[in-house]
Amino acid sequence: MTDTDLTDEEALLAKTARAYFADFVDNTYLNAQQASPLGYEPRRWAQMCELGWTAVNLPERVGGAGGTLAEAGVVAREYGRAAFASPLLQTLRAGTALATLGGGAFDGTLARIAGGGSAALVAPPDRTVRAEQAGGGYRLTGSAVVEWVEQCDDVVLLLPAAGHWVCATLPAADLRDRITAVPSVDNERIGRLGLDGLRLVASPIAPEAARYALARANLLRASAMVGGCEAVVEQSARYAKERVQFGQAIGAFQAVRHHLARMVIAADAARLACNEALTRAVPDADESAIAAVAVFAAGRSYVQIVLTAAQVHGGVGTTVEHILHHHYLRAKAMQLRGGRRASRLREIHQALVVRREGRLW
Amino acid sequence: MKTVLGDEQLTFLAELRTYLDGLDPALVEATRAENIEDPMQPRAHGRRFLKRLGADGWLGVAWPREYGGQGRTAIESWLMAEELYNRRLPNGLLTLNAIGPTLMLVGTAEQKAEYLPRIRAGELEFAIGYSEPDAGSDLASLRTRAVRDGDGYLVNGQKIWTTGASVATHLWLAVRTGRPEQRHRGVSLFITPMDAPGITITPIITQGGERTNAVFFDNLRIPASQRIGAENEGWSGIVTALNFERMFYHNEPRWELRQLTDWAAGAGLLDGDTAEAHELQAVVGEHAVDVEICRLFALRGARMLAEGHVPHAEASVNKIWWGELRQRICDTGLDLVGEEGTIATGSAYAPAHGHLEHGLRSSPVWRFGGGTNEIQLDIIATRGLGMPR
Repeated sequence: MTDTDLTDEEALLAKTARAYFADFVDNTYLNAQQASPLGYEPRRWAQMCELGWTAVNLPERVGGAGGTLAEAGVVAREYGRAAFASPLLQTLRAGTALATLGGGAFDGTLARIAGGGSAALVAPPDRTVRAEQAGGGYRLTGSAVVEWVEQCDDVVLLLPAAGHWVCATLPAADLRDRITAVPSVDNERIGRLGLDGLRLVASPIAPEAARYALARANLLRASAMVGGCEAVVEQSARYAKERVQFGQAIGAFQAVRHHLARMVIAADAARLACNEALTRAVPDADESAIAAVAVFAAGRSYVQIVLTAAQVHGGVGTTVEHILHHHYLRAKAMQLRGGRRASRLREIHQALVVRREGRLW
Repeated sequence: MKTVLGDEQLTFLAELRTYLDGLDPALVEATRAENIEDPMQPRAHGRRFLKRLGADGWLGVAWPREYGGQGRTAIESWLMAEELYNRRLPNGLLTLNAIGPTLMLVGTAEQKAEYLPRIRAGELEFAIGYSEPDAGSDLASLRTRAVRDGDGYLVNGQKIWTTGASVATHLWLAVRTGRPEQRHRGVSLFITPMDAPGITITPIITQGGERTNAVFFDNLRIPASQRIGAENEGWSGIVTALNFERMFYHNEPRWELRQLTDWAAGAGLLDGDTAEAHELQAVVGEHAVDVEICRLFALRGARMLAEGHVPHAEASVNKIWWGELRQRICDTGLDLVGEEGTIATGSAYAPAHGHLEHGLRSSPVWRFGGGTNEIQLDIIATRGLGMPR
């Protein structure tokens, strides 16, 4: 089934991005990058910046393209579809959070991103980092596991304090001593950032504004997971038509067909929720609940789909010689980066059932 | 992304809500009670209610103006059906949203003139005569025969699971006119009044308390003018009607979820900070996600129809999600209630007014009615992904 709800501009952007990744990304390439010292190719990073992807939805005043969140979502989707790893998604998320908070306070960082810099967003979903007022600023406690925190130029901290939130940006170089590189389940690089005792100068942000900015940033991860869902369903369908057992393609067996159909349902659920949220998470229509639904659905669907895809592919799908293994590992990792399942569900319950957010509830 | 629900649609919804709020409360209450007891067959109050809507121009909102509709899109039609379901009021589901649109596509000028105005007025109610004891999912194997007899046909045989037959005015009937080995190429579609001589209806009561029926034909005579489409070519009409039908599953699970959350709120569990409350909040949270997605699936179908596409695999996705979710909400809802969940509907002590236990008893039908979910999965794999048959 094909997307019918992309605008012409979005469809063109999706086509360009898909063609770009298809030109060089395959399993061999992904394996080589994963084993490389940096984890990604700076040459490719420069190309993606040249194409304007890191700044697609940043304001024009900082050098961005002034596009929509949905356009950034389209870029993230193709990134996820290719199982490509680099600071791209993190930079998109960091830039989106800062641009959403707006007000010009973060224009310096945004301009650096638009100029080709990379940034990592530190906003642990289960609030493992807290900011407490101390003197004229804030004192932090806790730690977080952050993608690409060691490799990025800037670090954006968006953290809860007492009754409000704070946001600050720091050069990553200033945090070097606090970062411990740790191995990641998937091909995105991660570092553990210890923040105990770090002092920050930051202005307070209303909880609703912080929640909205985070919802938009997290939607980009949801969109990347949707791309992963689509790639794995397509790959599995192709394999089921090619692989012959008992004298016929395995896709002719009802047991296999039903697995594939369940994968389609899961992918459709994730995509529809994500697209709806990308459309609705616009200024003056603060609907964070549908964004939370999209993030949850994308994570659940991506994991469900890779688990089933491994079954459809049999042994060939579980080796490092097959691209499926990257999706398999990325699915759970990307889902976990959204935090604890029960906590997210309780937030959704609070938003949808108790507060009755959303247009039709 | 393109937005589907624009200001025009939301204005329509607001107008509809104002209209429904202004209806005679006694009529609405009686209709609601009847509908909750057995939603598949509007009876005395439901028929009065639908006629009221028809007289006020609120039926067939997506029908073209030439057929007396409002000429709106499938989006408005979907919004209306959802709003009506949310109030547990009948929406003329099959007759208005499947039979009417199918007649517009495959009916003759005379058939359209005869039936469409009366359907739109809420006067007619169709029952669907597809299933037979030996032909359920395998509709192409149906055996009830129509034999040419002068300017008409004589029909003999039996249908089963003909829900609504005892209250319907008409039957939308699939019969064999060709040889059995012709399979779906030997099937014709007919319309017959339910009170025609030769039709006998016997009730089948389900475990949920709803009534369905067996229908017997003993030399039932149907004029040739009541054949829909050419002889032996009724299959496309069946498929068209089924696609419309599957697409018009709405957000019923939202109603079931509300029964669960109202019960939890009444029991003081919804906002608590205990381990038990946390478990319930997580369970309800996931159902809420799935209810939102249910709405998006139905809305996608409405969008496709509005754009002139017929959803096939998409309709099947919708149908599976809907049927499984309703059942799951009732099942896990009763898990949260515990022992008291065994008190049956009708008792003042039944938690959630018995809606969850009544729902669970009724729920098997949701997963196989309108085509089993396993058949839907096959449709998704073959039509959606191109798997070999």
